[in-house]
Amino acid sequence: MGVGNITGWRLLRASVGSQRRDVAVASVFLVGHQTGEALVPVLVGVVIDEAVRTGDARALTGWLLLLGLDFAVLSFSYRFGARRSWLADVRADQRLRLLVADRVLDPRGGAETGRLPGNLTTVAVADAKRVGIVNFALPLGLAAVAAAVVATVALLRISLPLGLLILLGTPPLLYLVHLLGKPLERRSGPEQERAAQAAGVAADLVAGVRVLKGIGAEPAAVRRYVGTSRAALAATLRATGAQAWYQGAVLAANGLFLALVALVGGRLAAQGEISVGGLVAAVGLAQFLITPLQIFGWVNGRLAQARASAARIAEVLSAAPAVATGPRPAPADPRGALRVRDLRHGPLDGLDLTVPAGELVGVVAPDPAAATALLRCLGREVDPEGGTVELDGVPLVEYAPRDARRAVLVAAHDAELFSGTLRDNVLAGAPPERDPVPAMAAAQADQVAAALPDGADTAVSEQGRSLSGGQRQRVALARALAADAPVLVLHDPTTAVDTVTEARIAAGVRALRRGRTTVAVTSSPALLAVTDRVVVLDGGRVRAEGTHAGLMDTDTAYRTTVLG
Amino acid sequence: MTTGRDTPAGRELLPVAGAARTRAAVRELLRPHRGRAALALVALVAGAAVSLLAAPLLGRIIDLVVTGAPPGAVTGPALALAAVAPAQGLLAVAGIALVARVGENVLAGLRERFVARALGLPLERIEAAGSGDLTSRVTADVSLVGEAVREAVPQFARSALVILLTLVALAVLDWRFLLAALLAVPIQALTARWYLRRSTPLYAEQRVIGGVQQQQLLDTVGGAATVRAFGLEAEHAERVRTRSEDVVDVALRVVRLQTAFFGRLNLAEYVGVAAVLTTGFLLVGAGTVSIGTASAAALYFINLFTPVNEVLFLLDTAQSAAASLARIVGVAGLRPEEGPAHPVRPVDAAVRVKGLGHHYLPGHDVLDGVDLDLRAGAQVALVGASGAGKTTLAKLVAGVHRPARGSVEIGGARLEEQGPDVVRETVALITQEVHVFAGPLGEDLRLARPDADDTALLAALDTVDALPWVRALPDGLATVVGTGGHALTVVQSQQLALARLVLADRPVAILDEATAEAGSAGSRALEAAARSALRGRTGLVVAHRLTQAAAADHVVVLDAGRVVEQGTHDDLVAAGGRYARLWDAWSASR
Repeated sequence: MGVGNITGWRLLRASVGSQRRDVAVASVFLVGHQTGEALVPVLVGVVIDEAVRTGDARALTGWLLLLGLDFAVLSFSYRFGARRSWLADVRADQRLRLLVADRVLDPRGGAETGRLPGNLTTVAVADAKRVGIVNFALPLGLAAVAAAVVATVALLRISLPLGLLILLGTPPLLYLVHLLGKPLERRSGPEQERAAQAAGVAADLVAGVRVLKGIGAEPAAVRRYVGTSRAALAATLRATGAQAWYQGAVLAANGLFLALVALVGGRLAAQGEISVGGLVAAVGLAQFLITPLQIFGWVNGRLAQARASAARIAEVLSAAPAVATGPRPAPADPRGALRVRDLRHGPLDGLDLTVPAGELVGVVAPDPAAATALLRCLGREVDPEGGTVELDGVPLVEYAPRDARRAVLVAAHDAELFSGTLRDNVLAGAPPERDPVPAMAAAQADQVAAALPDGADTAVSEQGRSLSGGQRQRVALARALAADAPVLVLHDPTTAVDTVTEARIAAGVRALRRGRTTVAVTSSPALLAVTDRVVVLDGGRVRAEGTHAGLMDTDTAYRTTVLG
Repeated sequence: MTTGRDTPAGRELLPVAGAARTRAAVRELLRPHRGRAALALVALVAGAAVSLLAAPLLGRIIDLVVTGAPPGAVTGPALALAAVAPAQGLLAVAGIALVARVGENVLAGLRERFVARALGLPLERIEAAGSGDLTSRVTADVSLVGEAVREAVPQFARSALVILLTLVALAVLDWRFLLAALLAVPIQALTARWYLRRSTPLYAEQRVIGGVQQQQLLDTVGGAATVRAFGLEAEHAERVRTRSEDVVDVALRVVRLQTAFFGRLNLAEYVGVAAVLTTGFLLVGAGTVSIGTASAAALYFINLFTPVNEVLFLLDTAQSAAASLARIVGVAGLRPEEGPAHPVRPVDAAVRVKGLGHHYLPGHDVLDGVDLDLRAGAQVALVGASGAGKTTLAKLVAGVHRPARGSVEIGGARLEEQGPDVVRETVALITQEVHVFAGPLGEDLRLARPDADDTALLAALDTVDALPWVRALPDGLATVVGTGGHALTVVQSQQLALARLVLADRPVAILDEATAEAGSAGSRALEAAARSALRGRTGLVVAHRLTQAAAADHVVVLDAGRVVEQGTHDDLVAAGGRYARLWDAWSASR
């Protein structure tokens, strides 16, 4: 899978290549469809020449049958061509989406460095779609070429001068339309943005309705929204004015061109150079030719978009991994002795820390950045700039990131819940057949379940947004406890729960993790009170250590940090 | 409707307007613009009529050719054709611009009324429905109706008029041409019915499945760090794959439906063309019409293909837009909350709670027999486990819910006597929900006090200790924050909420879980900010950290919906009860 140097162009080619059979079959069918469409005006002209003029009923039947055949061919070609090209489109789209997801999920990480989660989702959805659509656009483009060729041949066969007039006249006509549309494109961009902004403001105010009501700000908010809405209305009206002029101009230009074709064609017909049916066909073809030429423009636009999107996807796929993988096999049944040696990373400046197997240690880090740096090193989210983290005497970097994390589980303070039931969430990282009840009880997540309509079977939606902050935190903690990792590192696991519950959780964690190595990075006095030992960091190193009670008695700075 | 959200039992969704109410609401919004709407119709009809001149003029040229007129005779009709073009263009400009003007004005009126009503709904009502219902109406439904007004309506109107007038024109050429053309109509009508029956549920399903996939990607990509920490990579890759396959699956069903739809319309096209040509053949043979007229009829019919396809294809958009419109009108038409005829104003900021009891489900009391007496300006902390009833008590005092039993009095007047407008000016409630309003920071704060100048805003920020970081922002008060803007930390967002509280300047303020989720260091900063923000007001604080309780004038301990202890921090610690045990656990050997 794609870690390495991938360019947008190569990605685009591979995306088409992965569906080449469907793209090829779709092209053949869609060429058939457009050819059939081009033949409709030609055949109508022939019917008028051969049947209506002559009154020959057999000719009428014959040509109408042929026209029917043409309709059948164009209809079925469209049906199968469109399905195949659509299939090629959505399959390519899906393939890219999965590539992006796989890259993001790579245990070595690194894909999300410097990006917001929303941005990566956009790459996986919108950009993948824009690249996929090339598989739809290519057959359509080829079909447009075929249509143009058929129409050209038909026109030149009817009359050389008239054919040349139409063929040479249509591109300048389209260019003129393009020129007319140019300023519109420039204007409508920002104006559409203004309109979208009004929708955004409304959604934003509604999302914050509790906040507004809390301070009685609804009237002010409504006044503000009306202002935004009116400004958006004015902008939209300016844009629609331009839009109306553009559409009107296109109609007029088209009509003038048609008049010119009628004039020249009519004179040629009057001189006997072409037949009446030929004139009807030429007029019909002049109208028809506009469609394939417009398709060229559309295909071109898609290709440009697809190249930009492909470049963005390629950038994600070739992002450098955040951590290296190690050569050792997974540790078998680790005892769980943790040792941090001379760790230097960010604000950490030579941190030494030893946690014997089975101990429950509290770490108090007044500088949040130091806590984060330590947690990232412990969880192998990053490889430390200097020093090592060792498990049972072996540096963590010597294991594959997945194996290291299985042995040392870092439960982040902002860990996300996933869709599924509450129980699914608790058991997400647990060994098979594990009973969720003890972990849920220890984390007081059983209380959360009790308050929900279907208990532990209640579905959790939108990354747990259907739960309150405190509920979410307890479920996440239960999940960390249920995983039963040899070493468990908890980061601020009780910030959103009330004091009574916090005290119960502290007792629960203590009991459940007895004999298992546990590190609690927190300044919660309730949690620190149940630890065996507390380590206080300052300036990137250990400043003090002792029992919570001892430090509370002797260390004023510690007391201030913990009690505020 | 189309959201994938689970609706827990007991959810009471917001109303959806019936067809008659929806029509009445649209008529009412149209009324101020009816002159313009009539003009738009005239322009559209005239434009379509002028465009129909093209085919008979071409027919005239053909007739001239057939009758052997000299080449110069063609010039007249060709010039007429050339004159039709700009006229058609100008009328289109007028028609499109007027339709857009009317549509956009109506749309703006509708969305403004919707937002006003939505924000005016009682909080209790919003919570009963779940805020997702309201959000999906204001985003998905408003934008769907907007798109319909912007794109579908003008196109639909023009195409429908072209079809109608073409049929009239065919009848003018010869009524039998009209009859021939109408042969296609049964096929088209059946096709439309067949399509609409399938398309509406299918598109709804497609939106749901698309939403589910988007949600899964947000889950997986947004939670990538958590996924890796728990080694769930394979499981999540599989989830993304399954969701993605569902999307492919439904997309293929959609394209199958659409291609079958157009296939059936092709059949209608062929039947119509063949019938019109045959009619022409017969009428020319009988000497009733000229070859030029027969050709004009054929050209008319060929030019109908595109508008017919458009109209039928847009029926689906029209149907979903109508459904969305009904959901918008459902809220926009709600009556605003009514208060008493003569609201009583509170005389001071004292809060008195008597015999207060409440339940959300009958028989399940969450609060019972609560009595509290807070003198004006007192700082009171509520302590208790989850489910003890702290939040319910806070909401009752803030007037969010009407109590089932007992009463809440502020400044000597019961909340019912004050009515919503007065209560709004009396009590402020800050919940755990932090929301930073998108836009300049100063504008966010001015929601609390619209007439505040920058000095007042900076003073409020200073009160809650937010001044240092606000000054450090790239554009100070003008910095764009919230969605899409400068991201604020949880602590900063909460400080902003407290600054709004200072600006709103209500005599009574209630803080529920206001400092949760900020991390330990942040909690302490926020506690200090909250203390400053509450100075001079009666404050009721749901305490998460006991330090908040220790700093309050009065502590109320709740358990299972009842007050089990209350008094000052020192008294309660000395009493050696429940609170004292909590405090011991919290402060260890203090």
